[in-house]
Amino acid sequence: MKLLEIDDLHVSVQGKEILKGITLSVPEGELHAIMGPNGSGKSTLSYTLAGREGYEVTRGQVLYRGDDLTALSPDRRAALGVFLALQYPVEIPGVVTLTFLKVALNAQRRARGEQEFDAVQVLRSVRQNAAALNIPEDMLKRPLNAGFSGGEKKRMEILQMALFEPRLAILDETDSGLDIDALRLVASGVNAQRAPDRGILVITHYQRLLDYIVPDRVHVLAGGRIVRSGGPDLALELEKSGYGAVVEVA
Amino acid sequence: MTALARSIGGHTDAFRHDFARREVELPGGALQWLQDRRRAAMTAFTAIGVPNRRVEAWKYTDLANLLEPDLLPITGSGDADERVSPLLDESNHLRLFNGFLSRCASDDAIDIVDLSALRGEVPDWLRENFGVLACGPDQPMGAASLALMRGGVAIRVRRDNSLALHFSNGASLRPCVSHCRVLLLVESGVSVRLLESHTGETSSGSLRNIGVELILNANSRLEHIRLQKDAADAVHVTSLGAMLRRDSQYRACYAALGARASRLDINIRLTGDRSEAALHHVAAVDTGIADITSVIDHASPNTRSRQLFKNVAGGHGRVVNQGRVIVREGSVKSDSHQLFKALLLSPRAEVDAKPELEIFADDVLCGHGTAIGALDEDALFYLRSRGIPEEEAKRLLIRAFLAEAVEGFGNEAIRDSLWQELEGALTKAAKASR
Repeated sequence: MKLLEIDDLHVSVQGKEILKGITLSVPEGELHAIMGPNGSGKSTLSYTLAGREGYEVTRGQVLYRGDDLTALSPDRRAALGVFLALQYPVEIPGVVTLTFLKVALNAQRRARGEQEFDAVQVLRSVRQNAAALNIPEDMLKRPLNAGFSGGEKKRMEILQMALFEPRLAILDETDSGLDIDALRLVASGVNAQRAPDRGILVITHYQRLLDYIVPDRVHVLAGGRIVRSGGPDLALELEKSGYGAVVEVA
Repeated sequence: MTALARSIGGHTDAFRHDFARREVELPGGALQWLQDRRRAAMTAFTAIGVPNRRVEAWKYTDLANLLEPDLLPITGSGDADERVSPLLDESNHLRLFNGFLSRCASDDAIDIVDLSALRGEVPDWLRENFGVLACGPDQPMGAASLALMRGGVAIRVRRDNSLALHFSNGASLRPCVSHCRVLLLVESGVSVRLLESHTGETSSGSLRNIGVELILNANSRLEHIRLQKDAADAVHVTSLGAMLRRDSQYRACYAALGARASRLDINIRLTGDRSEAALHHVAAVDTGIADITSVIDHASPNTRSRQLFKNVAGGHGRVVNQGRVIVREGSVKSDSHQLFKALLLSPRAEVDAKPELEIFADDVLCGHGTAIGALDEDALFYLRSRGIPEEEAKRLLIRAFLAEAVEGFGNEAIRDSLWQELEGALTKAAKASR
């Protein structure tokens, strides 16, 4: 059984069709990259998979572990193991990061019928994962993402991924706005979480990230469709000749 | 004459007749100085009357038309209410039931006078300070509370202390009115925490009219935490006047959590150099009106004021934020800022916000801002995408919105009980908005 199966997916936003028939599948244990020029529909795909309101599926289907994903609320999807790292993580002043992590983790556990973690268990788990991402203790005591640098926000997203242990992780332009050191740190955080029962979908504009996170498959998204798929070499080809050439050939 | 005009004239006339008939029987009726102040207050009140929307400062809260047509004056306290006050604290407890002092703590650091029993000799501090603030034509309901006062309490604090003042009223089958006064005098160099709470039984649309005078002598500090949660049919007006002398500091956190209409009518005079006032306000309503209207008067150089009002309106609730800052001639280096923010949870909820500045001095810093909106959709999606169910995510965001105005007040136990009350009001507001 495929972890994620997208078949002929059409999505409209405010009446305008953005995704025009995407077909794509991600098996367990694989990491796929979706690359594409600006406006190709990359973020629309990630928001649709996470269940954001206003992204209307007009045709096709999305199966997650064999079940229809599009019928579920965003929080239900999260509880079932779908995680989206946002391109622009939202600043939430007034909610302490550690409190947020505890509330979110326990909401997911509760929804799955698992025992909730107490404060000590959450703290232990957060600390373990934070250290590897070079996230200092005081960042956890600050309001969520408020005043965080671009790199800090992206690291916080990866920390959540580590903490929530999703089955399917979608990373939307996680490399944008990162300098080379931050990029390496984030990439090693992602690599550490590759696992046989986990699928990862990396959405990116640049090939750069794929120097550090080597994908099993690369898909090129243009004009709301997957126009080419291939192995890791496809990313290098894109880097060399640009999207224009690849999209034209398709 | 229209029916509307008759009913407006009705309350003003009724208050005036009550005064004319009972002037001598009212507490302290035999004290000449007090009688003079009450007469002056009655004159000030009569100039405006019970305000309606044609009075500019009351245009969002048409008090005269929110009141029941006939209000019976409450003349005795009845059986005192001994329930626990919502703001739990170990501090000195005073209770006012139906506007009468019903229980009184004693402490050698504070002097307390029951205003319903004013007669003969009164202490100098009381005569000098009582009936001076919250009784001018700019606070007409405060003027009425002084003129028609039946009870209340005057407190002088001589050493650092904490006080809890709990107001409640009994159930009533007819609409009543209680006029009550409070004076708190904080002596020089003294720090006080005042917890004030208001709860009430269903009372057929009764009016609770309270006048509060706060006098902060030089170098004193007052932290004021106020929780107002009246019955859904009650009308509550508190007129608060404060005088801040040299180097004194007043910090307040007011919470308005329900009534048919509540109005906190504030007038703060920064009369001493380097005096400071910080007013934080939170409102959470699902029905009725929660009105906070403030005037802060920078009457001395180097004075500072801060106002942060945060409101959540759901259902068909309405919140009103009005703030006028006056900087008098010569009050150089005055520093003032006011920020009003509101969250609307329902399309039927309403916010009226009006900041005003009147500046007559150079070299001052004055700013104001207003932001009104719905919950941030991006933030809501973000939290939901992390597994937090919609209702819980909304609650978290609303709490985060209010937190800034509550942080730093009281101690952990006080904040916890304040949050508990807030959560209750927010749950009602969310329910009424579905």
